[in-house]
Amino acid sequence: MRELMTVFGTASPTASGQSGDFTLSTPIARSTFTYIRIPKGLKAKIWAKRLAGTAGFTLLVQYTNDVTAPSPTWITIDAEHMAAAGSLELEKRRPVVVVARTGNEAVKLSYTNTTGAGTLYASVDIEITDED
Amino acid sequence: MDRVLDSLGLVRSGEYLVAYIPATERALVFRVRSRLNEGREVYNYGPIPLKTGTSLPTYTGGSTAVPEDGVLPANSYTGGMSFQAPQIMKDYVFDANDIWYIIETYRDMLFHVKTYITPSFLRVDVQIPIGNPQGRFQKDKFIIGVDRDFGFARGYIELIHFPKIHYGYRFGNDTNLDVRTFVKFIYGEYRVETPMDANLIFDILVKREPAYWLTLPISILDPTAESALIETYGYAGFRIYKHTDRNTALADYNNTLRMVKV
Repeated sequence: MRELMTVFGTASPTASGQSGDFTLSTPIARSTFTYIRIPKGLKAKIWAKRLAGTAGFTLLVQYTNDVTAPSPTWITIDAEHMAAAGSLELEKRRPVVVVARTGNEAVKLSYTNTTGAGTLYASVDIEITDED
Repeated sequence: MDRVLDSLGLVRSGEYLVAYIPATERALVFRVRSRLNEGREVYNYGPIPLKTGTSLPTYTGGSTAVPEDGVLPANSYTGGMSFQAPQIMKDYVFDANDIWYIIETYRDMLFHVKTYITPSFLRVDVQIPIGNPQGRFQKDKFIIGVDRDFGFARGYIELIHFPKIHYGYRFGNDTNLDVRTFVKFIYGEYRVETPMDANLIFDILVKREPAYWLTLPISILDPTAESALIETYGYAGFRIYKHTDRNTALADYNNTLRMVKV
């Protein structure tokens, strides 16, 4: 079982030092979301990241072991930095993998920004699968 | 090249199909005389037939409403559902609420249906007949399925639809996304007959003769389903014997074959 979906989000901080979570959309989801909860026994594999926007942004891939907690602890598992304005495509790499052992695990995309106002567009290919 | 199945996983004309029922340890044996929809096996059905506003139970014990036709809400699961006929087909099929339903006089017809659900992480199981869940753990101690922690498939299910039985498909979404759904069927509309030779049936059922075996998810054979099989085919399955019990099996099969209707 494999379901590959592209999620997309935009961040537009107004000042340097701002950070936050991407509000994401994908064609199979009816509404926007900030994280994907991974069904128990399955894995989330992040295969590709495409970034575009202003220099100084860092895209963070984060996971939590319990998204049902009142204040989930999010841990960064991957980061991509926009050293210059433009676009960055990172594809055909080995995936970032998060395994759901309880069904409460989730992944989200966040950003940090060090160079003032700007916009970052992020598009990430996430596969939900039971395969290794 | 597979002798029995084609590249779609459907039984080739002239080959044998065994529908095994674990609950009774019996099997119905068919020879596929022809495939009426050869070359036209793909049916892009569309969304799961969920209607806006329908209340669904959730995995946390509450309920939630379907926000839009065909959308399975986050953290929810359905009851048994049939696939309704599209508007253009409604007046022509036996039951507008169940496209796979046919009556017993169509006993020489059999639907072999492979259902692919998008997104493929959705849980799926089937009730046979509708309303009768089939997942069991430790015989009949615990009922399992899409509403439990296990006892379901994800994204795909393969079935044979017998005449006179409504099946109930159930779906579950254990993610946090309200997902737009889609169903694709790859199906064979078979014209079938029962091999009327007890020796051949024995050879098929001890796996000396090539055949496609499909184990149906039937843990409890509901009396209405059993009577539907008997009304349709004249029997509810050939008993499975060991390969050393040929004589006993042949006597049993010859008795059964006298009742066979197709």
